[in-house]
Amino acid sequence: MKFLCIACDEPMKLEESTPPADGAGFTATFRCPACGQGVAMLTNPWETEVVGSLGVKLANGRESRCPMGSMIATSRPAAEEPAGVAWTAGALARLDRIPEMVRPMAREGIERYAKNAGRGVVDEALLEEARAAFAS
Amino acid sequence: MKGYRDIVGDGGSQIVAQVVAARQSMTRALAGVRHLVAVASGKGGVGKSTVTIGLARALVAAGQRVAILDCDLNGPTQAQMAGVRDQPWVPGEEGLELPRSADGLGVLSLGSVLGRETALRFDAVSQGDEQVWRGTRELTVLGQLLAAVRWGELDVLLLDLPPGAERTLQVAQLLGPRAAFVLVTVPSAVAREVVARSLDALTGNGHGAAPSGRVVGYVENMAGYWCRDCGAVRPLFPAAEAPLHATSTVPLLASIPFDPALAAACDGGSPPAVDTPAGEALRAAARRLLATLESSP
Repeated sequence: MKFLCIACDEPMKLEESTPPADGAGFTATFRCPACGQGVAMLTNPWETEVVGSLGVKLANGRESRCPMGSMIATSRPAAEEPAGVAWTAGALARLDRIPEMVRPMAREGIERYAKNAGRGVVDEALLEEARAAFAS
Repeated sequence: MKGYRDIVGDGGSQIVAQVVAARQSMTRALAGVRHLVAVASGKGGVGKSTVTIGLARALVAAGQRVAILDCDLNGPTQAQMAGVRDQPWVPGEEGLELPRSADGLGVLSLGSVLGRETALRFDAVSQGDEQVWRGTRELTVLGQLLAAVRWGELDVLLLDLPPGAERTLQVAQLLGPRAAFVLVTVPSAVAREVVARSLDALTGNGHGAAPSGRVVGYVENMAGYWCRDCGAVRPLFPAAEAPLHATSTVPLLASIPFDPALAAACDGGSPPAVDTPAGEALRAAARRLLATLESSP
């Protein structure tokens, strides 16, 4: 989708976007670089989800929500949820190198592994240990 | 007034560029995979997952490096069948590490991270209107999974597809021309009709459409019932109409009789016995599939 300033016949530039926050859609504002005329695009929930379902980041570096976020929250019974597991910066860096979509799933499984192993901290050594433990 | 194609770029949202970049990430992640094989049908309940893991184990036994991606996000079964149900997904230095079964088969399945009786749910601002976006989101997740995993060097990556002729076509377009397809059917007229429709959708036969998928063969599953007591294979279905290869150029890779022990092995996550008619048929299918893949351009 592109926006054109009719008076100037110039493509408008994205100025700002706001992620969904009110249970409806996101807002994007565009402005004509020639005359300064602005418009706001207000999407409805369907349109918001259609864009979000492509797995893209919204403008201004804001990420769309993790498409599986709610699945992670309900993937295991609450009684099994590990608590109080800390991550070192190095381990978090590894986690951050995989896409946002699979991050919560990987995190949850590793925290469960750490808890079962009696460890309160996930560091790179523990990640290697987990990898080796399940390698054939 | 300028038209859409007169304007370069999209004003700054970079949405198209991000979608293209995601495709490129997937291509890079699969660079070490020699053969990408999707096991599909269109029809549900014909045993795609059983055939997938059976083929995978037969290929591993033949010395091939093999992994499975369970593309059925709503009904993932491969984690259970491969015995990797409780393996965590470990973030490695170069991406997600591939969980491995006891016999060395790599398996990525949502069954490893979803609760046993938990439905797949997505966060959304338009809950209740999932018909608008859910299909696209699931395909995006598949692409992200393909890009996220450190697949390494593989001879064959098998993709266990969900049912639905439309889903088969969508996955074919996501994977692109390098993917080969194996179709699974059972010897019933109803199943054959649905699978023939999937074949038509993939090949675009006679409709002027460009082929979306390269179909390298089909497997006839549940081709009779093997009685362990008497060793006979008895029919499970009434005499079927002409098989798929009688009306198309798609070769039959194997006919696999139903064997309760094979079903039990799949449920238990253990390799099935190999000295059975089903085991022999799976090995034959794997041999023929590999020969076809190796002879393809």
